[in-house]
Amino acid sequence: MRILLVEDERSIGGAVRDQLNADGQAVDWAESLVAAGEFLAVTDYDLLLLDLVLPDGQGSDLLKRLRAVGSVLPVIILTARDRISDRIAGLNAGADDYLVKPFDLNELSARIAAVARRAAGKPNPETRLGAVTLDPAARRASRDGQPVTLTAREWALLDALLRRPGAILSKPQLEESLYAFGDEVESNAVEAHVSRLRKKLGHEIVETARGLGYRLGAGA
Amino acid sequence: MTGPYSLQRRLSLLLTLLVLALWGIATLAGAVIVRHELDEVFDSALQELAQRLLPLAVETLYRDDPTDGPRHIAALAGHEEYLTYLVRDADGHILIRSHDADPSAFPGRPTPGFRSFRDVRLYTEAGVSGTVFVEVAEPLGHRREAAWEASLGLLAPILLLAPLSLLAVWGGVRRGLVPVTLLRRQIERRGDADLTPIAGLRLPSEIAPVAGAVNRLMARLDRALAAERSFAANSAHELRTPLAGALAQTQRLIAEAPEGPLRDRAVAVAASLNRLSHLSEKLLQLARAESGLFPPGPPTDLAPLVPMILDDLIRAAEGRLLIDPAAPLIATIDPDAFALLLRNLVENALKHSPRGTRVIVRVLAEAVHIRNQGPVVDFDRLRARFARGTTRASGSGLGLAIVDALAAATGAAVAFRSPAPGAVDGVEVVLTPPA
Repeated sequence: MRILLVEDERSIGGAVRDQLNADGQAVDWAESLVAAGEFLAVTDYDLLLLDLVLPDGQGSDLLKRLRAVGSVLPVIILTARDRISDRIAGLNAGADDYLVKPFDLNELSARIAAVARRAAGKPNPETRLGAVTLDPAARRASRDGQPVTLTAREWALLDALLRRPGAILSKPQLEESLYAFGDEVESNAVEAHVSRLRKKLGHEIVETARGLGYRLGAGA
Repeated sequence: MTGPYSLQRRLSLLLTLLVLALWGIATLAGAVIVRHELDEVFDSALQELAQRLLPLAVETLYRDDPTDGPRHIAALAGHEEYLTYLVRDADGHILIRSHDADPSAFPGRPTPGFRSFRDVRLYTEAGVSGTVFVEVAEPLGHRREAAWEASLGLLAPILLLAPLSLLAVWGGVRRGLVPVTLLRRQIERRGDADLTPIAGLRLPSEIAPVAGAVNRLMARLDRALAAERSFAANSAHELRTPLAGALAQTQRLIAEAPEGPLRDRAVAVAASLNRLSHLSEKLLQLARAESGLFPPGPPTDLAPLVPMILDDLIRAAEGRLLIDPAAPLIATIDPDAFALLLRNLVENALKHSPRGTRVIVRVLAEAVHIRNQGPVVDFDRLRARFARGTTRASGSGLGLAIVDALAAATGAAVAFRSPAPGAVDGVEVVLTPPA
């Protein structure tokens, strides 16, 4: 997933970015509302992590602007404000979830997975593809009942495909899910990950649409 | 002044007494004037009688041969005389006397003019070159009685009107003091949380400054409390942010460090940071609860908030916490105060029940029932601030202090029962927010 993190506190932002990177998510980190606006203007994100108190204004204003133009981007608010009225206000402004600081990073990972799942219209975290069972939230995969270990990048790629079943995703689209701005994109990384996924989960898990990109295996 | 006294009673009494005193003075002055006028009238009658009597007496004396003894002018019939008279010569020998006349009532020698002698008023008229004196006497009791009766006539209406005037003054003062009563009611109706200025009352100039002073005081109080609240809110934010940063960094350290003493240390730091953040959160909650300002809002159904308030606890409890917010919970309590109350009570219920047992939160009959399967608890001991129960559960011990302060500030009722009704152990807490 490509995630935009809006957070002005360096130590929190750094740790959250590292955590999400370790989860295999591509994270762009904005430290102000203006920077966040610039990121949103040039890239499509799968999820927004939004702090409420920022040096140049209220995060809730950005959220309201997004919702006003019809954006359905899933948003999780990260805030030090713990009052239930703040929470209600945040959710009313269009947030999908609300996490009060200080929070546990693993809790954040779980919430991100849950919100992304809900946004994809799949409340059930488990997906069965033929002999393969996938639980991206718990990071569990199995083939013919045997557990299979996937790397974070492999999960990220699979996740991108799972969220748009049937759709063909181009190589640059998949790269966007894997790498944030400033990350050095390894050449043929997508091909390499696809090939390893096929080796671990079976060739039919990812289909190649020649010249266009990849999609989730229909026969899988 | 030892106790409070009634301004109305004081004013009524004072005014009534003042009116009565003035009335008394007026009556006294009236009596004196009446007395004086009566004296003039009676004196003039006395003088008139003497002057009329003189020619008659002279004629009587000179028509008959003068003899030595006193004579009576023939009386018409025996009757009681108000006025008696003597006709005497210059030496005081009685020449004629009226039949009731008492010579001892007349002083030694006749002297023309008015005289008062003992209890008698006298008038003497001289005639025949000062050889014959007519003296008329009238007992003073008579005119005293007349003066007294006239004064009584003045006094009688006062006795009748005094209670009436007391009533009238009482009513008038009461009416006059209506603005004071209104002002008092307005201030009383404010309650604890309403610090808006008093307005919309037409107050007299004596009371208006009081209302103004109260308004200024309330404005100052409002500012002070707002500052305190914003301090509590800001310090929560200011404290949480660096704590969140430190905790997140430490968690990354744990994730990235290799197995071994370095990671163990990072785990210990994370545990300390968690305790610190928990304690600071409780202290801030207590500060907020004790600032005591949770104005009641319009009646709202709080039941849908219950899962939201307990959201992270449900997650952390891993199936131990069951929520059943099926019934509505209509209350006027501030939602933040309700959230703090509920969270603290549920946290306690979770903390003080063994692993594997369940904590059930139900909304029933306009109250939240929180029930656990922990040990039986003696709440009198537990409720003392900072006093921990006998359990080894970790915690600040501030939860119940926060609950107490919030219940007092919002009027919510919190009842503890242990063992829980229908069970041999556990605790049931019933939180009833004000309707």
